[in-house]
Amino acid sequence: MLSSREVLQEKKKNLSSWLLSLPSMIWLAFFFLVPYLIVVFYSFLTQDIYDVKFEFSLDAYRQIFTNGYLQPFFLSFKLAIYTVVICLLLGFPVAYYMARANDKLKNTLLILIIIPFWTNLIIRIFSWRIFLSYSGVLNGVLMKLGLISQPIEILRTNLAVILVMVYVYLPYMILPLYSVLEKLDFTLLNAAMDLGANEIKSFFLITLPLAIEGIFAGSLLVFIPALGAYLIPQLVGNQQSLYIGQVITYKVKNIPRNWPMASALSLTLLFMVAIMLLIIYAIYRHHLAKRSS
Amino acid sequence: MENIILHNISKDFGTFRAVDGVNLTIKSGELFSFLGPSGCGKTTLLRMIAGFETPTEGSIYLGDKNISDLPPYKREVNTIFQNYSLFPHMTVFDNVAFGLKIKKRPKTEIKDRVHEMLKLVKMEDQANKYPDQISGGQKQRIAIARALINKPRVLLLDEPLAALDLKLRQHMLIELMDIHDAVGITFIYVTHDQGEAMSISDRLAVMNQGKIVQEGPPDDIYERPTSIFSAYFIGETNLITGDVYKVYDDYLELHCPDGTGKMLKLDSSFHKPVSEGTRITLSLRPEKIAISRFKPRPQDDINIIKGQIEDILYLGSHTQYIVRVGKLKFRVFSQHKRVYFDDKALDWEEEVWLFWHDTDTWLIEDNPLDILTDAELDDNGNLQRYVKRSKV
Repeated sequence: MLSSREVLQEKKKNLSSWLLSLPSMIWLAFFFLVPYLIVVFYSFLTQDIYDVKFEFSLDAYRQIFTNGYLQPFFLSFKLAIYTVVICLLLGFPVAYYMARANDKLKNTLLILIIIPFWTNLIIRIFSWRIFLSYSGVLNGVLMKLGLISQPIEILRTNLAVILVMVYVYLPYMILPLYSVLEKLDFTLLNAAMDLGANEIKSFFLITLPLAIEGIFAGSLLVFIPALGAYLIPQLVGNQQSLYIGQVITYKVKNIPRNWPMASALSLTLLFMVAIMLLIIYAIYRHHLAKRSS
Repeated sequence: MENIILHNISKDFGTFRAVDGVNLTIKSGELFSFLGPSGCGKTTLLRMIAGFETPTEGSIYLGDKNISDLPPYKREVNTIFQNYSLFPHMTVFDNVAFGLKIKKRPKTEIKDRVHEMLKLVKMEDQANKYPDQISGGQKQRIAIARALINKPRVLLLDEPLAALDLKLRQHMLIELMDIHDAVGITFIYVTHDQGEAMSISDRLAVMNQGKIVQEGPPDDIYERPTSIFSAYFIGETNLITGDVYKVYDDYLELHCPDGTGKMLKLDSSFHKPVSEGTRITLSLRPEKIAISRFKPRPQDDINIIKGQIEDILYLGSHTQYIVRVGKLKFRVFSQHKRVYFDDKALDWEEEVWLFWHDTDTWLIEDNPLDILTDAELDDNGNLQRYVKRSKV
C-alpha cells in the first residue's frame, strides 16, 4: 500500500509530465487528428456531380472493390516490396562495412550517406530524369559499351520508378541497419567460426538474427512511404500504370473532384499499413514472449 | 606425445612485431599457460592457434598436421573467449548445441550430448535460459560446455576468469582443473594473472615483448627464474646486484655496491659457475627470509645480516617488513608478527637480523648489464624498477 504522501507525490509527478506533454498534444490534436477526422468524415459522404453532398453513403468504399481500384493498390504494394528488398540487399553490405570500419571512416561514410538529403527531393528526381532520358547519360554509356544499338526507353517505365525509389529510400534502410550492426559484438562471429560454422553459416546464424530489429525498422521506414509514393511515379513513371498515391492525388486534383473517393482510398491505404504493422508487432511480441518465458 | 608444436612463429601487425620467433612444444593432455603482461603477444599466439590470425612466419602443428593455413572452422581446436561470446539470441541449450547443429548431427544425439555437457559443467537445470538471464560464472560454464561438445583436441582459454570476482575466480579455477582431468585433452590457458597460471598449470611460458622469456613447471619458474623479468613478474622478489668477491668450493661471496662491503653467500654448486669480479643479479624471495630481533647461530650455509625496520605492512595472511640494510632495502614476508622467543611483535625502527639459506639466493643467469640501463639503478646500485631494454 502506498502512503497518502506517496500517492500525493505520484499525482504531482503525473501532473507535471502531463503538463509538459500538453503543448505537443494540442498540436497533434489540432493539426493531425482533426484533419484526419475530416478525411474519415468525407469518406462517408455522397459524391455529387461537382462537389460533395452531406449525406451518408458507403459508395466510395464500394467502388474501391468494384471499379478496378485494386490494380493501383496491387501495383503500389509490388513497388514497395521491390524497393524494400532491393534496399535491404544493397543496404546491408554497406551498413556492415560501415559498422566494422574505424571511427574516422565511419563518420565519413555517414556524412556521405546523409549529404543527398541536403538537396531538395524534386531537384534530385529531375536530375534522374535527365540521367535516364532518351538522350541521357545512361543510354549513352550503354551504347558506348555496345550493349544496345539505339537508345531505349528507360524513363517513364516501372523500372525507372524502382531505380529512383531505391535511390531515395536507401539511406532510410542503411541507417537503422548500421545502428544495430554497430552494436553487434563481432567476437560472436569468431565464436561461431571456432565452433565449426564457415563464413556463410555464421552470417545466417549469428549476424542476421542479431540484426533483425534493424531489418524490421529499415524495412518499415522504406515500405510505408514507398506504399504511398506519389512524386517519384509521377515524375519518372508513366500514365498507363498508376500507383495508388497518384490515383488519390488525381481524385482531388482533377475536376470533377471526388473527395469521398480520395478519402476512402487514403483510409484503405492507412488500414493496410496498420494491419501490416500489427502483424509485425505481433511477430515481435511473440519473439519477446518466447525469450522471457 | 606432442600435441601442439609452434615452430618459429612470428606475427607482425604493420611494423609492430606482436610475436617474435616463438618455438614451443605442448604435450598432449597438458595444461599449459601463457603468462605475461598485456601486449606481450600471448593472446595473439592463442588467436593464431585458433586460426583467427595467420602467422607472418613459421608454422603451427596439431599432432603431425600443419594447420597454419586452415580456417578456424576446420581446426580441431575450440576456444573459450574472454567475454564468453555466448550467442545472445539462443538459449543455453542452443548455444551448447551449436557445434553439433553445424555438423548436422541427429536430433537425439544432439540432445544427449548437450545434456552430458551441461552435466559436466553442472548447468543441467538452466538449459532453457538465455545468456542475459544467467550470471557471469554460469556463462563461463556454458562457454566451456559449448567449446567441449565438439570434442576438440585442444581447448584454448583466453583470460577466461578475468571478468569474475575473486572468490568465484578461485572456485572456477578448481572446476577448470576438474574439467581438465575429466576430459583429458590439452588446455592452453592465457592469463596475465600469475596466481592463476601458477596454480593451474602443468607448465607455463612467461612472455614478454612477443618472446618466450622462460618456460617450465610453475615451481621451476618461481624458484629458478632465468631472467630478471620472470623473477619480477612472477611473485615478489628482492633483486640484489653485486660483484663476485670470492668463489669458494661450495659458496661464493658477493659484495653489494652499497659502500659497506656487505657480503652475501650463495651456494655455488647450485648455480652456473661465475668468475670473481663479475657483476651479477640475485633474486631472493621475501618469504624465504627469516626475521628476528635475536641473532641466529652462525652457520656456513646461512646468510645473516643486520638491518633496521623501516616499514611494516600488515596483510592478514602475512606481514611485510621493509628492512634497510646499509643502503639496500629488503622486503621480508613473515607469517607471524610476534618473534618466536619473547612473544613480542617487531616494531618500527627496530634493529633486526635477517637470515636465509644460501640455496635461496638465486643467481639470475641473464647478464644484468645487458638488459638494465644505468638509470634504473640508483646511486647505490639498487634496482629501482625493472624495464626491459632491447639488447644491442
